Amino acid sequence: MTFNPDNVIIWQWEMLKINATLVFTWLVMALILCLTWLATRRLSDDVHPSRWQTFMEMLVSLIRDQIRDVGREDPDPYLSFVGTIFLFIAFANLLTIIPGYRPPTGSLSTTAALAICVFLAVPLYGIQRQGLLNYLRQYTRPSLFMLPFNIIGEVSRTIALAVRLFGNMMSGTVVVAVLISITPFLFPIVLQLLGLLTGMIQAYIFAILAMVYISSALVARKKNNTSTQNRPEPGGTAPAGGQ
Amino acid sequence: MELNWSTFLLEIFNFLVLVWILKRFLYQPVLDIIARRRAAIETQLAEARQQHAEADALKQQYEHRLADWEHERQQALDRLMQEIEETRNQQMQKLKAELSQQEEKTRVARSRQDKQLIRAIEQRALQQSAEFASRLLAEAAGPELENRLFDLLLNGLSALPADQIEALGNKWGESPETIVVSSAYPLDDDKRHQLEATLSRVTGLSAPVHYEQDAKLLAGLNITIGSWLLQLNVRDELRGFMELADIES
Repeated sequence: MTFNPDNVIIWQWEMLKINATLVFTWLVMALILCLTWLATRRLSDDVHPSRWQTFMEMLVSLIRDQIRDVGREDPDPYLSFVGTIFLFIAFANLLTIIPGYRPPTGSLSTTAALAICVFLAVPLYGIQRQGLLNYLRQYTRPSLFMLPFNIIGEVSRTIALAVRLFGNMMSGTVVVAVLISITPFLFPIVLQLLGLLTGMIQAYIFAILAMVYISSALVARKKNNTSTQNRPEPGGTAPAGGQ
Repeated sequence: MELNWSTFLLEIFNFLVLVWILKRFLYQPVLDIIARRRAAIETQLAEARQQHAEADALKQQYEHRLADWEHERQQALDRLMQEIEETRNQQMQKLKAELSQQEEKTRVARSRQDKQLIRAIEQRALQQSAEFASRLLAEAAGPELENRLFDLLLNGLSALPADQIEALGNKWGESPETIVVSSAYPLDDDKRHQLEATLSRVTGLSAPVHYEQDAKLLAGLNITIGSWLLQLNVRDELRGFMELADIES
């Protein structure tokens, strides 16, 4: 029995392999785009919008509020990135209720890709806000001796981000598969419902951690502007998360 | 737990594409709609605030106007009360003056009525006394009274001073043909001689004397000399007394 959707090859051309991970990713993307189209095709600024529009506005507002609560600043520059992470992971995990569906987040390639995106987004937002030198100078705080440790922290938290999501989703898939083989009725249903909850929590955790990592780079700039003391480290002060 | 590099790279690409698509077709339109709705709500709130401010201004204006009206009303009321007070004082003074005049008129009228009443009482008393005297004298009249009146007439004529006798003589005018002497009781000859002698001396006339008896005289004499009349009898005295009472009333 194959639990990794990367191993389910659907089409291959030399090194390029179209596997179940990519197919289900595109399926999730198509579903999100379809819902987006349904929600945004008749946008209006009436006081009483449609239910779809209300749902989307509520969802976007909820994400913006979470970003604002974590970052303590204007959420709009980070809404696209953090919001897409949340929506993609949430939809990818929620679709596990469909029989035969393999969540792309159960693939380390997908979670690693998302983690790399976060890993790259943090310095991009930091450099955009502070400038290259100021951002790089944070890695030498409080002393140059801390530079390798800060770099290790950046890499380790990215790996933790990827492995955490992969491990949770993969374990859920494995447990459900094992329980189906043992007790095919009651327990798999309960664990599927639990998996839905776990999937939503993982989406929330991944998005929140991404925002925390981004905001840690921005908070350092804020503190630089007010005081040179107690400067947070780019990777040291941010929570590594975990479950 | 293995990493498929082509899947890894394609997943990065997929994610970036999804980020761009959602930003283009979800976040930006929804944020624009939220911003537009917020702007519309802000506009409505601003209009509401402006209307509220205008309403407050109008309310204050109306309150000021009401206060002014109240002030003007109070002033007008004060002026009216003052005018009413002045008018009342004037009317009271006028009324007092009229009352004083009326009291004076009443007092005068009462005094006049009192005088008239007193006069009427006096007249009534005079009339009653005259009637009483007339009845008394009518009952008491007799030859004795006539004799006494005769004597009184003779004494009076005899006591006239010379200048008066001369003045009487000049006023007789044309000499009368006869002298008429009326008496309530018949006169004896002696009295007639005495009377004629006295009349002749006083009047200076030599006309014959004609004697008459008139019981209505009650007592006394009535002497007619032309247009002149000498009276000394009870009836004429009482009539004179009553006429005197009428004149005095």
